[in-house]
Amino acid sequence: MSLISLMGALEIGLIFALVALGVLISFRILNFPDLTADGSFPLGGAVAAIMIAGGQSPWLACAAAMLAGAAAGWVTAWLNVRLNILQLLASILVMIALYSINLRVMGAPNVALIGSPTVFSPLIGEVSERAMWVQPGVLAAIVVAAKLLLDAYFASQSGLAMRATGANPRMARAQGISTNRAILTGMALSNALIALGGALYVQTQGGADISMGVGTIVVGLAAVIIGETLIPSRSLWVITLATVLGAILYRLFIALALSADFIGLQAQDLNLVTAVLVGLALVLPTLKAKLRKTVKGNPA
Amino acid sequence: MMHAKGLLKTFNPGTPIENRVLRGLDLHIETGQFVTVIGSNGAGKSTFLNAISGDLLVDSGSLHLDGQDVTRQNAWQRAGLVARVFQDPMAGTCEALTIEENLALAWQRGERRGLGRAVKAELRELFREKLSILKLGLENRLTDRIGLLSGGQRQAVSLLMASLKPSRMLLLDEHTAALDPKTAAFVLELTDQVVAEGKLTTLMVTHSMRQALDHGDRTVMLHQGRVVLDVSGEERARMDVPDLLAMFERTRGEAITDDALLLG
Ligand SMILES: Nc1ncnc2c1ncn2[C@@H]1O[C@H](COP(=O)(O)OP(=O)(O)OP(=O)(O)O)[C@@H](O)[C@H]1O
Ligand SMILES: [Mg+2]
Repeated sequence: MSLISLMGALEIGLIFALVALGVLISFRILNFPDLTADGSFPLGGAVAAIMIAGGQSPWLACAAAMLAGAAAGWVTAWLNVRLNILQLLASILVMIALYSINLRVMGAPNVALIGSPTVFSPLIGEVSERAMWVQPGVLAAIVVAAKLLLDAYFASQSGLAMRATGANPRMARAQGISTNRAILTGMALSNALIALGGALYVQTQGGADISMGVGTIVVGLAAVIIGETLIPSRSLWVITLATVLGAILYRLFIALALSADFIGLQAQDLNLVTAVLVGLALVLPTLKAKLRKTVKGNPA
Repeated sequence: MMHAKGLLKTFNPGTPIENRVLRGLDLHIETGQFVTVIGSNGAGKSTFLNAISGDLLVDSGSLHLDGQDVTRQNAWQRAGLVARVFQDPMAGTCEALTIEENLALAWQRGERRGLGRAVKAELRELFREKLSILKLGLENRLTDRIGLLSGGQRQAVSLLMASLKPSRMLLLDEHTAALDPKTAAFVLELTDQVVAEGKLTTLMVTHSMRQALDHGDRTVMLHQGRVVLDVSGEERARMDVPDLLAMFERTRGEAITDDALLLG
């Protein structure tokens, strides 16, 4: 694998680390199976692309994308807590609705950003070879900041209330925590992170495309599962770290699998590879446990 | 002070499995009174406690805590007034969180939660001090997950959590039922201590007539969603388990005849 494709994989891995952190909040912390990601990731991309194409600052575009994502997550949560629609179904409704909304936002199936300023361009300047290092570098800084902020939040009073809401809602209510509010906030936070991923994605890819969200949730979930399989832990800062590493490792693995010609995999096989990978990650803990048992069972 | 008047609660109304659980329950408890509650399975004891905590809202009737009308308030809105310990040790604590995180949640019961750190150094000191009262060595295990503790230890921590912040009403629903006799006795002793120290207005459900008479200063019996027996003071002091059992059987029989009369 060439250095360029390695750095490219790292770059996308870092972007999906943001998505994975969002998925961690919904699936693991709030216990809320949420598929909104497939709509909120391209929503973030669409909002950012349109704003940048319209001459706005790329950072402002990222902030707007996060707000839009937060709104999407909030609506999913609202459908669930206020209208009692099943979590999965509520998120599918929002995901489908977002497809139309994203088209509206973009005004066309795709928006090109070639030559437009991005959050990376000030550091790249005129030397386009620098992009290979600058883009992953900036992304890494954003991901580290997001991870540290999340860790701090989940150690706060409000963050602890959110964790209790996901783990034991009845107990949370008995402690005076409005579980509904915690779910609304958490889902907004989750999808804001995912939309930020989308906003950064379009800036590395040179444009937004209406189909860019397909499979986002599976990749995010894969990263979370890989992370917790490789570094099982109960402590939250380790879990967020594992999630970030899971996302990067996942993309590196995919890049490796695709670049090894003898395997004969092509880009369109990505989803199959993902499914196999997630499947493996899911059975690994059971396999490990079995192996340990066998080893213990036959003392040499 | 707690004042419940004419509480009605029917599960699955209008269906073949309709179940009228609370049928006009009246009960007044003075501030600082420790009331034990007995009654057969399905009498509506847990439902009554859930109605007080706001875990479920009654169909009609009114509920006042310290003069405040809480009838229509949700559980989380009432949490500042009501503390509780559940029967299931798993229910009252968050398994995935550490001991200190669980205590920090209880430390802010009913209060606004902001962005400040949940577990601060001075809080840790306080938690350590409170935990040492339990004499379970938990003061040295603040950062252990609570899921690692035994049922009895968790129940003791639950009780501590319920008493960490002042409340107008402490609800205990068979909180020692899942424990072995020795641990149950320990948790009960702890209960008496906590209630006495905080002069807490308390409602404790139990299936043991012995416990019902030995603890607290008033005993009520629920039957078919109503209070059918209410003893306190001299009368209660002179009572022994057989007396209570006899009254239990008698009132139950009477209640049944009453219903038969009404139906006939
Ligand atoms: N959420 C619910 N939905 C439907 N029925 C319920 C619900 N909660 C309780 N019930 C029913 O209400 C009746 C009273 O239950 P409750 O738990 O209050 O009894 P209890 O006096 O606490 O009994 P026990 O001594 O067995 O704990 C039971 O018949 C029970 O099946
Ligand atoms: Mg009960």
